[in-house]
Amino acid sequence: MTAVEVRHLRRTYTRRKKEPRTALDDLNLVVETGEVHGLLGPNGAGKTTLCKILSTVLLPTSGTARVDGFDVVEQTDEVRRAVGIVFGGERGLYTRLTARQNLLYWSALYRQPTKVGRKRVEELLERLGLQERADEPVETFSRGMKQRLHLARGLVGTPRVLILDEPTVGMDPVAARDFRALVVELRGEGHSILLTTHDMAEAEELCDRVSLMDGGRLIATEDPKTIGSWLSRFERVRAEGVSPELAARLRDLPGVAAVESRGDQIVVEVEEAGATGEALRLLVEAGVTSLATTRPTLEEVYLQAIGDRGLGVR
Amino acid sequence: MTVLRNNARVLRYAFTSAMADMRATYTWKSWTFAWLARILCQVTLFALIGKLLGSPEQVEYLVVGNSVFIVADIVMMVCATTAWERLAGTLPLLVSCPSTPFVVFAGRSVQWLVDGLACSTVSLLLLAPVLGVSLPLGAALTAVPMIAVISVSVYFFGLTLAGLALRVMKARNLVGRLGSIGLMVLTGVQVPVTFWPVPVQYMSNVLPLTHGLHAVREHLHGAPLPRVLALLSLEVAVGTAWTVIAFFTYRRLVNSGRHDGTIEFGG
Repeated sequence: MTAVEVRHLRRTYTRRKKEPRTALDDLNLVVETGEVHGLLGPNGAGKTTLCKILSTVLLPTSGTARVDGFDVVEQTDEVRRAVGIVFGGERGLYTRLTARQNLLYWSALYRQPTKVGRKRVEELLERLGLQERADEPVETFSRGMKQRLHLARGLVGTPRVLILDEPTVGMDPVAARDFRALVVELRGEGHSILLTTHDMAEAEELCDRVSLMDGGRLIATEDPKTIGSWLSRFERVRAEGVSPELAARLRDLPGVAAVESRGDQIVVEVEEAGATGEALRLLVEAGVTSLATTRPTLEEVYLQAIGDRGLGVR
Repeated sequence: MTVLRNNARVLRYAFTSAMADMRATYTWKSWTFAWLARILCQVTLFALIGKLLGSPEQVEYLVVGNSVFIVADIVMMVCATTAWERLAGTLPLLVSCPSTPFVVFAGRSVQWLVDGLACSTVSLLLLAPVLGVSLPLGAALTAVPMIAVISVSVYFFGLTLAGLALRVMKARNLVGRLGSIGLMVLTGVQVPVTFWPVPVQYMSNVLPLTHGLHAVREHLHGAPLPRVLALLSLEVAVGTAWTVIAFFTYRRLVNSGRHDGTIEFGG
């Protein structure tokens, strides 16, 4: 059984005196059980709309979506028991209650028996490093702590599928790193996770597979390294101590898109397979020894895949 | 049975949240010397109209009416506090969990029941003698549970309006205030219900407070218990009807929100 299965999913929003807006357009997506699946895309790509449909907060216009085998329209109760949702930012918590009270509250909302709920809450407080401040009001917590509490809240109902919608947005780097470490732990325990993010590094670090979305459509689904390899022809060569004459010769090579000077470095942008070898040969023959090639990052793949829409990328 | 037990737990935590809000809003000093004092001034202001008219009956009518109205006025703040839930960003999470959000909303604003009942009681017991209205102490004391019944029926009326206001967040305070003013004008607080044209009286009869306030007035005038209980039963019936309407209002809120996409993550 798949964790998430989306077939021909479409969602349009009707707007007063305006054309309807299509947020999802014939989307197909499968998240396997135990997989961490990343959804990448700029603002308005449809990531959050998909998360809302999968968590039963929004109805699709057409198509089907199943979570843990249950249909989000026909089997809403079953889906709600199977799914946990965590979104970024500070909202979504009862800030005047303590962390423990928040979790017990959500445990009751997830209809857990009292004893089971209490045990689960204590486990989560311990695991997420909130035990020491469990009885303090959440409004006194740092952003990182609040986000850990968010994750605990998302896990309190022991969901089989976890949806993380830009969970590290606005967090400082240390808190984001700690949060990612928690997600890695959850992956190790076999949780199925759908993670939406703008952050390429986050997707590369956490995801087994990544889907690129734009304009409500799925552009591609692959593992992060494979997506990177697609654009291997878009390699970049960095070199130091390159004379202007040599830079000009590099620029004239077939397959070289650009040669940029950055301080005492030049950066050769290569856009055809095989051109990297030619550029390297020329540099080595000219006696340049300080050089390096770099593989494209997911961000570069993303920018290439969706063109100039990449402005929303952090 | 399990569902009932779970809902009771949800209510308990919603109540805890409500009381935490109350503690964050008031200290006992600010409640006593600012909030309660302001409430007593409001009742006194209306009672003074009776004084100006030179009618002790009018003074009594206005003191009792406005003292009991205080509970409704305060409880109608449920419209604002229900909106806090949406502002806190918990609505999508409530929708996506297995329990019904109505239970959360039903417990979310109960601090106003406590607040309103306290203010109303103090107003009735303290202001009446100060303004020269002689109420039998025993009857005044036994009117307090009747005010509690009124507070609950008004609460669910307010919760219904709050459910509507959740769709138009900008209007949340306006909806609450209009609801409160509507109760003040139409339910026999300042003028008897019979003052209004018959069609308006029909409306008064389906509003909370009308029958409960009538019951309190009759009780303070020494009406027989069955008569008082009959009026109070009408208040309970109206309150029950508003509870059912509130339940469906929230169900509609969730269903329409899922259709039109107005339930936002984080908002």
